[in-house]
Amino acid sequence: MAILSEVAETISLDGGRKSRGNLTKARIRWVIVALVLVFGTVGGRLIQLGATVTDSTIEGVARDVITASRPPILDRNGLEMAVDIRVPSLFAEPRRIVDVEEAVQKLRTVLPDLNEDWLRNRLTGDKGFVWVKRELTPAIQERIYQLGIPGLEFVTESKRFYPSGKEASHILGAVNIDNQGTMGIEKHMDDDSLAVLQSIGIARDTDLTPVSLSVDLRVQHVMYEQLQDALVRYKAVAAAGVMMDVKTGEIVALASLPDFDPNNPSTLFQDYNGVKNDRFNRITSGIYELGSTFKTVTLAGALDSGKVRITDEFDARFAVRFGRFTIDDFHGKHRVLSVPEVFKYSSNIGTIKIMQELGKDEFRDFLTKIGMDRTVPFELPEMRKPKVPDKFSEIVAATSSFGHGLSVSPLHMVRAVAAFVNDGYMVPPTMYKRDEAEARQLYEPVISPSTSAEIRYLLRLNAIGAGGSGSRMNKIANGYRVGGKTGTAEKVVNGRYASNVNFNVFASAFPLDKPRYAMVIIVDEPKAENEQTGVTAGWNAGEVTGRIVQRVAPMLGIAPDFGEMLDQNLVPVELR
Amino acid sequence: MIRMLNVVLLATTLIVLVGVYGLKYSVEDIAAEKAAIERQIDRQTGVLSLLKADWSYLNQPAHVAPIVVRHQQALGLVPTGQEQFGRMDNLPMRPAAPDTAALDDLLNSLDAGIDPIGQLIEAN
Repeated sequence: MAILSEVAETISLDGGRKSRGNLTKARIRWVIVALVLVFGTVGGRLIQLGATVTDSTIEGVARDVITASRPPILDRNGLEMAVDIRVPSLFAEPRRIVDVEEAVQKLRTVLPDLNEDWLRNRLTGDKGFVWVKRELTPAIQERIYQLGIPGLEFVTESKRFYPSGKEASHILGAVNIDNQGTMGIEKHMDDDSLAVLQSIGIARDTDLTPVSLSVDLRVQHVMYEQLQDALVRYKAVAAAGVMMDVKTGEIVALASLPDFDPNNPSTLFQDYNGVKNDRFNRITSGIYELGSTFKTVTLAGALDSGKVRITDEFDARFAVRFGRFTIDDFHGKHRVLSVPEVFKYSSNIGTIKIMQELGKDEFRDFLTKIGMDRTVPFELPEMRKPKVPDKFSEIVAATSSFGHGLSVSPLHMVRAVAAFVNDGYMVPPTMYKRDEAEARQLYEPVISPSTSAEIRYLLRLNAIGAGGSGSRMNKIANGYRVGGKTGTAEKVVNGRYASNVNFNVFASAFPLDKPRYAMVIIVDEPKAENEQTGVTAGWNAGEVTGRIVQRVAPMLGIAPDFGEMLDQNLVPVELR
Repeated sequence: MIRMLNVVLLATTLIVLVGVYGLKYSVEDIAAEKAAIERQIDRQTGVLSLLKADWSYLNQPAHVAPIVVRHQQALGLVPTGQEQFGRMDNLPMRPAAPDTAALDDLLNSLDAGIDPIGQLIEAN
């Protein structure tokens, strides 16, 4: 009650205070509105800034991808075969260029090979980013900086560099300007996992784990050098070789001539002596009739079946006739030959008889067993399917037994020879380092260890026996217990076999007392070195093999041994 | 009391203001320094990658072999032949006992003033 009476007493005073109070309230309200507006604006701007997506792509390609690096590639001893170098690339922001004409003239003083009109077009306009020239040297970068043209900037890119140059070109392959593998092991690495790494941006830093290949660069160098020598010495159109560790399946060396420069991948498409597309990898993507080297396969199949024994003899007196075709021997002995003689004198007649003893379907099955009719599982993407007829007729089986009428790659051959000398265990070849324990899990028995011992004897016999086609090779590589089989296949010219144009092969393995390496060398269309020499495989592919082994055996830790005991131990008990 | 609080708050605000101002500038300095160091690292990794590439190029058999060929004649270099490799067990066995008589002879002749090296030179 007291309050009521008080309010009634001071009406006018209360009105003044009230009106002041109302004014204050109004002011406070305005201040709140102002504050809300100010903070609202600030907050809104923050959200706007946070939501902005900055365009980090360079002409549609993410910057990360362009600056992405690739892991270094090392050989089996840790020597670099491919490294990344950081190089500056010049780009322009045309919207920031003030005087296009001045920029063009100044730039051309440093980069005179740029087309003037092209450059003017490039720098005119309102674009935010255009490449001017990629992968320059630091010296040129410095000179362009000194021109002081606004709107020209550099971005550091990774560029692939192959210090070994052409020597391992077909193994390494090449990358394109965006650092993506286009062929060889570089492409395989991308297909495998690297592309994923790069796309999520992990592969940006330079310290990627190096990739170790199975290649030994020293052996690779010797093989490359000897193949080049063979091209000159025998005036051949092409030469190639591959060496494989029979225990682990590692490819120790692989070279194919003519080749290209991986530092300048466009050289792959250059004509070679007027022939287009001739620089392909002959070891993996070339398929050939490998001629008499295939007799090793036929004999391995026949001996392993048990239907033919090493002590058997075959009548090679008369040529074999199939309808209107007659198959005769090249250096015919025309007498009854034992199995080792059939191999040593490379008798077509004897081999056909041995194959017939085995049976043509069994022979065809053996080819499937050793994977001759499928592509070899291998890392290099350049592969071609072999051509082996699905079913053998009498005549096709006969010609196939000595390597005609079916085409396989030299890689098929080296894998088969490796299996034949490695106690019959076939191991898939690889370009990456692999240890023996790991390889053993992949072993696939194709022939028995006793047949393998017989094949080792036959291969060695061909090198040391009188009249063996590998004797020229053995003379050069004496002491390293090499054995091998020659193959001189006549090439098909205009649809028929030409007797004067050969494709020569030498399939070998060493040291045969304790086999470790298998090798296949091919020389395409060799000519005689001089008047006294021949053109068959023993004279060229064989000699090349000898020279390579002579050089690389010490590098691979194989000491020469001239003891005759080693060779005698190879002779099967039945023949002693 | 409230006045005291206001003074304290005002003073704190001023100190914080100055502090934030200084912090902002020092952060900018550090950022600039970091950018400079990053640029330097970038440049040096670039140079390093070039040096590494150079080093591996110089180590390549493809690079060393031509040098060998160039000096082949002057140094009389030839590829190692099979007969040049030996084994430990091919070395002759060490003599059972030292040849003391020959050593005594040598020492006596030295004492007598004969110079074995000088003799060799004269003989040639």
